[in-house]
Amino acid sequence: MKPDKINILEAAQHRDGMTVPDGYFNDFVSRMESMLPQTEFELSAEGKKKLIADATPTRWQRVRPYVYMAAMFAGAWCMLKMFSLLSPTTGGISFDNDPMVAEAISNDQFIDEYFLDDYNEYDLYDDMAEDSTSMSDVFLTAEN
Amino acid sequence: MPRTAPPETAELVERLRDPAECRRAFSEVIRDYSEPLYWQIRRMVQNHEDANDILQNTFMKAWQNLENFRGDAKLSTWLYKIAINESVTFLAKERKRLNISLDDQESALIHTIEADEHVDGDKLAAQLRKAVASLPEKQRIVFNMKYYDDMKYEQMSEILGTSVGALKASYHLAVKKIEQFINNSN
Repeated sequence: MKPDKINILEAAQHRDGMTVPDGYFNDFVSRMESMLPQTEFELSAEGKKKLIADATPTRWQRVRPYVYMAAMFAGAWCMLKMFSLLSPTTGGISFDNDPMVAEAISNDQFIDEYFLDDYNEYDLYDDMAEDSTSMSDVFLTAEN
Repeated sequence: MPRTAPPETAELVERLRDPAECRRAFSEVIRDYSEPLYWQIRRMVQNHEDANDILQNTFMKAWQNLENFRGDAKLSTWLYKIAINESVTFLAKERKRLNISLDDQESALIHTIEADEHVDGDKLAAQLRKAVASLPEKQRIVFNMKYYDDMKYEQMSEILGTSVGALKASYHLAVKKIEQFINNSN
């Protein structure tokens, strides 16, 4: 029946009729505050403060980032230099460019002693035969 | 102190998340929320001493889990959730201790209301309390939040994890059952 429903909820005016002992809530606040234990979360703040206070940076710690940066740039420079040295277009050892190399190559004794030392004699005779070079010319030349 | 929670500030929430400030901030939380949470709990368990114990447990649990409070949800939502969970857990333990069913517990709560010393003598309010105590647990919670705290359904939904539609249906059913209880007792 609707009138009863309206009456009870409207008539009660959102009251529950309950009370608490005098001063309960004021006492509760102070009691509760004193009961709160120290937690790890709270301690983490104290620990952090101590670490910050204790950790005065050493000279090395202050200089370290700059040293690392300098090492990084030096390493990059070395790599670039190495790549440029290995590059064929940048000179290197060229017979045309180096007068000493050019002089050495024009010297037959140098060629014989340093370039043809490992040359197999049988291969040499084969090559000479192909070129129609006489053996006697070779021996005569050596004796002379 | 008001029965409803004050509007929370972003500044208070920030201080709660700061380990260096959290204790002072939490004292303010206790001051602001002890009364609204107490009445929410008391309407569930009816007895003042039990409500006092559960309120202490609620704040203790909140304090110990403060670092888990990320501020995504409102502070009031978080605290209400803890309070309701503690109340429901208490009632479940009481059922187990007394070896009684849910229906028997509703009768036990009515008996507690009748024996309650901390009342102002308002007979109509007492009759309504008994009618509310006869409701199933979930409906009781919804009715208390809506009727006594005038809480919005959206906030209730966040606290209880139930859709607004379901909460409205629950409140409607609760009102009908209260009407039936009053009619039967008359």
